[in-house]
Amino acid sequence: MPSRVISPAGSARHLASIAIVFLDVLPPLVWLGYVLALALPLAASVAIERVDRQLPFLARFGLLAALLVASLLFVPGVVTSMPTVPTGSIIVAVTLGGPIAAIVGRFAAGRLENRRTGLAVGGGSFLAVLGAAFLGSSVGLAALPATILTSVSLVPAAAYVLVVAIDRPGRRIGLLLPAVVFGGALLGAVVVDAMNFAGPNSWIDWGFLTGVHNSSSAAAAGFYPVIGGSIILMVIVAVLAFPLGVGTAVYLEEYAPDNRFTRIIDVNISNLAGVPSVVYGLLGLGLFITYLGESPGTALVGGATLGLLILPIVIISAREAIRSVPDSMRQASYGMGATRWQTVKNVVLPEAFPGILTGTILAIGRAIGETAPLVVVGLPSVIYSLPTDLSSSVGAMPMQIYAWASLYAGPGFYNSAVPAGVVVLLVVLLAMNSVAIALRNRYQREN
Amino acid sequence: MSNEEPTTEARTSAPDRSSATTSVDAGEETSDRAAEPDRTIVEARNIDVWYDEDQALRDVSMEVPEKKVTAMIGPSGCGKSTFLRCINRMNDLVDAARVEGELLLGSKNVYDADVDPIALRRRVGIVFQKPNPFPKSIYDNVAYGLEIQDVEGGHDAIVERSLERAALWEEVEDRLEESGLELSGGQQQRLCIARAIATDPEVLLMDEPASALDPIATNQIEDLIEDLAEEYTVIIVTHNMQQAARISDKTAVFLTGGELVEFDDTRQVFESPQSQRVEDYITGKFG
Ligand SMILES: Nc1ncnc2c1ncn2[C@@H]1O[C@H](COP(=O)(O)OP(=O)(O)OP(=O)(O)O)[C@@H](O)[C@H]1O
Ligand SMILES: [Mg+2]
Repeated sequence: MPSRVISPAGSARHLASIAIVFLDVLPPLVWLGYVLALALPLAASVAIERVDRQLPFLARFGLLAALLVASLLFVPGVVTSMPTVPTGSIIVAVTLGGPIAAIVGRFAAGRLENRRTGLAVGGGSFLAVLGAAFLGSSVGLAALPATILTSVSLVPAAAYVLVVAIDRPGRRIGLLLPAVVFGGALLGAVVVDAMNFAGPNSWIDWGFLTGVHNSSSAAAAGFYPVIGGSIILMVIVAVLAFPLGVGTAVYLEEYAPDNRFTRIIDVNISNLAGVPSVVYGLLGLGLFITYLGESPGTALVGGATLGLLILPIVIISAREAIRSVPDSMRQASYGMGATRWQTVKNVVLPEAFPGILTGTILAIGRAIGETAPLVVVGLPSVIYSLPTDLSSSVGAMPMQIYAWASLYAGPGFYNSAVPAGVVVLLVVLLAMNSVAIALRNRYQREN
Repeated sequence: MSNEEPTTEARTSAPDRSSATTSVDAGEETSDRAAEPDRTIVEARNIDVWYDEDQALRDVSMEVPEKKVTAMIGPSGCGKSTFLRCINRMNDLVDAARVEGELLLGSKNVYDADVDPIALRRRVGIVFQKPNPFPKSIYDNVAYGLEIQDVEGGHDAIVERSLERAALWEEVEDRLEESGLELSGGQQQRLCIARAIATDPEVLLMDEPASALDPIATNQIEDLIEDLAEEYTVIIVTHNMQQAARISDKTAVFLTGGELVEFDDTRQVFESPQSQRVEDYITGKFG
């Protein structure tokens, strides 16, 4: 399985880029506030488990829910108003690097079956993250990105390589491919730099990826707010459509009786999957803006509209995945005296999960390229910053491309900004689809 | 559906009913066996089963003795699996199925309105024809029943004992965390048996448990069934006459059309069957 060697490194890089966008939206101090606010109830639940196992479920649930709400309401505020606070990079090093070091250490201990080595790897990882936080600026990277890169990308990849090299000496050869790719890229960069090659003048450069729209000069135009905006929209779409879609699929497959009503719903969902997307835009406009009084163009309205758009697709693919779980598995569970829910939770969903995930990712891939419904619900075509909360305006990649190709039509934008934007959009799409394909392959290999 | 375990009062066995003559299909010869001391644990009274319009079982009545092996034989499609599924109400899961008549477990009719099929299935374990372990670890497979019944405390001891009883412990002792699907077919079937007995059911239903296995694995399963009969009541469906003759104390012969044609001590059925049709079936003249 040489692909196993490469994929962690690859996914770590994706994680790093997502994490950087994420921390740009969320300043380190706010992040710290939320981490603490979540850590508090978590610690409490562990404590309750230790102290009193007899506590009735409802009491326990109520207590923890109340604690969670209270701590989410108050702790972030208290943290952000503290008189002296640690610097951003230290906060990130501790809250992000700490848990990652712990996970890496556990992984090493598990694979090598040696607690001491595990501890050493975990400790070393944490030191590396701290080192990046303090020394990042001296190697030409700002302290904050250096910390993030080290904790989500360098440390896991290095630990993985180390563990594989120790644990499976025969597999060391498999590490060669990532090493060649990585080393080659570095070498290429050095050569180009040293010899001053005039390579092709790419439009997709650091300035394009991090800058904002500029209506007077295509060369100065950037794509950053809409890359972030699209990612945020996709997160909202996933959060809304995934639970609703999977819940509906589970109900229809496992609970609903086979009668005329369910058959009508069945046909309806299939038809809804084929409805043109602009119609969903009108639905979003009518439902969220006219009836519910949301203001147009916000992250919530855009995400919810796209969520509606892909809901039928998510339902259909989740049903497909659930149906493919062999019936003998359900029989075994019911035969043991499991309730319907226990069977769904313990047997059906774990088996169907990779399939459900694949379908959902592909559906989100469709949503990320949609323009028409976003135009209808009033997303701005030009935006200069990322949204700060759910009710502020958000941009999306296809919207920006559409604006460059229509409002700012001209040779400059036509020849540079529009193609560059399209390439970025396609790369994001391809990346998502390849994750889906990798998941499916892995799933098929296991069966 | 509730998770509680109701109807515990049904655990007490019925008063000794075994002196009653075993019912044989209507109109056939009556059995003249001597009374025997066994207690009856499962009793079918005039069970009819329909799948939509098709009748799969016709007026089946029989008494299954406690802590014995009862075999059910008969040609394919004669309703053996259907009868087995009546006992733990797995037929409830088939939309088309309709059951009439009474089926007593202990002294309680399991088709009474106040019987929770979930609780019933926790008292009546089942092992299927095709091994169907969950795609979980060997340990989790065996602990599944304990997990869903919220059995308190560690499960290690019960898992070990069940695997030992299923004659699998020595083979999997140090690979409990591996997936149950990585075992061989025979091992998987013994894993399914361990899973079924981990929750300590009163009755164990087995639907052709050895039909997918080679002779050696079949032997192991047969030995295992004889052992299990010391603690559990085993009802086993099989297509293998020798197997039925070897391991069972009682044998029920179903014939096409869903009739129970003969039900008696195994020796009696194989050596001097009452019905000509049964004799033809056993000697292979009729399938
Ligand atoms: N789920 C079902 N829906 C409709 N008809 C069914 C169903 N299950 C069984 N039947 C019918 O009921 C009859 C008895 O089937 P059953 O599975 O009980 O036979 P069997 O004796 O176990 O056969 P075999 O030895 O081949 O396993 C058959 O005619 C079969 O077609
Ligand atoms: Mg059968």
